[in-house]
Amino acid sequence: MVYEEPGTLAVQASGLAKHYRGRAGTVEAVRGVDLRVTAGEVFGFLGPNGAGKSTTVRMLTTLMTITAGTARVAGLDVAHDPDGVRRRIGVALQEAGLDPRQTGRELLALQARLFGSTRAEAATRAQELLVLLELEDAADRRIKGYSGGMKRRLDLASALVHEPEVLFLDEPTTGLDPASRLTVWDEVRRINGRGTTVFLTTQYLEEADQLCDRIAIIDAGRIVRQGTPAELKAGLRERRGLAVDPTLDEVFLDATGRTRERVAGEVQEVTA
Amino acid sequence: MTTVQQANLLGGRALREGLRTPESLAPTLFIPVFFLVVNFGQAGRIFPSSTTDFLYGQTYAAFQLPSSLLLAASFGSAALYLVEDIEGGYFDKLRASPVSRSALVIGRLLAEGVKGVVITAVLLVIALPFGVSVASGVVGVVLLLVLTALWGVVFGGFMQLIALKSRSAAATNAGGLVFFPLLFLTPNFVPRELLTRPMEIAATLNPVTYVMEALRSLILQDPQWDVLTRGFGIVGVLGVIMVALNVRLVRSYD
Repeated sequence: MVYEEPGTLAVQASGLAKHYRGRAGTVEAVRGVDLRVTAGEVFGFLGPNGAGKSTTVRMLTTLMTITAGTARVAGLDVAHDPDGVRRRIGVALQEAGLDPRQTGRELLALQARLFGSTRAEAATRAQELLVLLELEDAADRRIKGYSGGMKRRLDLASALVHEPEVLFLDEPTTGLDPASRLTVWDEVRRINGRGTTVFLTTQYLEEADQLCDRIAIIDAGRIVRQGTPAELKAGLRERRGLAVDPTLDEVFLDATGRTRERVAGEVQEVTA
Repeated sequence: MTTVQQANLLGGRALREGLRTPESLAPTLFIPVFFLVVNFGQAGRIFPSSTTDFLYGQTYAAFQLPSSLLLAASFGSAALYLVEDIEGGYFDKLRASPVSRSALVIGRLLAEGVKGVVITAVLLVIALPFGVSVASGVVGVVLLLVLTALWGVVFGGFMQLIALKSRSAAATNAGGLVFFPLLFLTPNFVPRELLTRPMEIAATLNPVTYVMEALRSLILQDPQWDVLTRGFGIVGVLGVIMVALNVRLVRSYD
């Protein structure tokens, strides 16, 4: 690990901003975000649609230029050493980034080789990951025939080929059925258990509550709450004088001023 | 891992992609063969080989073959696959990897070059029953394969630019239609000196003309090095420009 000052930070952002020039003028998608994610934790990044979650992740993962501010990931400056950052991170974005014409095994082996593995090493690593994520039976089938859950697991596997120090997961369970969602949760816990820092964006508050050591809530491009789930709940309980701890949903709604609608099933979704 | 090794890996993947969608190759072969057959059928008797000097003793199909080769090399399917990668998120997966930005661009273009060689070879075989032979011999066949493939790389680079800029299959497809006017503003049916003055000026300004004339010289005559130098020079310069513009666009891609 190459973490520099302040020692154990896996992700550090200061005044991070992204502005676009559109036809209607300048859009401020992210407006001065400060983040400090400690190495080894699962950090949840929550927010309603369009709040700036994915834009922030894309800046942190070198996929998008930074308009203002600075970001360091795994100890390296994202703007000045993007290739160094890319070697140390794994990325699974909202849209499972897969090539439907390759087989699962081919995709993983190619990804491993692009990270510098030899052909033999890449084949071994691909096999390990296929077993680990229970995709062995489908390994030599083309990805276009995979189910949504299988695609998500393969995407996760492809983000792990080089054993990254920091894993970015952008809404990894969106669109999955409850069983697949639980499988992904188990994987996230297992990956984190092996020392990988996980930076997770999600709209599912139960997911954040279950998985994350600390969370930040972003709204309209600004961080509006940050802390452990327990701290955030206790803060709202104190402020409102509640008899019992509120749920994370209530914390979220308080922070963003959104309305709530319950979605059928075991997971609650909050929409703007 | 060097940029060349990365480009080879990505080129291999692009070739696999092409092999697994053989249906996308059908129009690449069918339409150029269709033009060859129709143009030869319509004008073959107007330009009999015995009395037409510019055919050097071959049939009119030999004169027409370069148009078909250029058309086949200008389908730019690589750019449409790139749009799929962009829309499906795989392009971002590659961009988030420590892959040289040049390799991201060159990988697909390498595959386009290999496809160009194969398609040219197939078209040469298809042209045999029409009385076509390559007068410049084995060296000429090799140069023919290389020049057509390089043109495929140039045009693939142009299509990739549209794909990267528009991120849209519809816009990329529409961009490909640019080639049709370029193909017809050439000495497509007769040599340049027989064109009307306005057409001759247009053909002289059109870079495709020089590639076509180089291909045609290889089929009809012994190697004409001045003509070949112009043809290879055009694809060389355009190729460098296309790769440079593609790399620049990928580097600033948000």
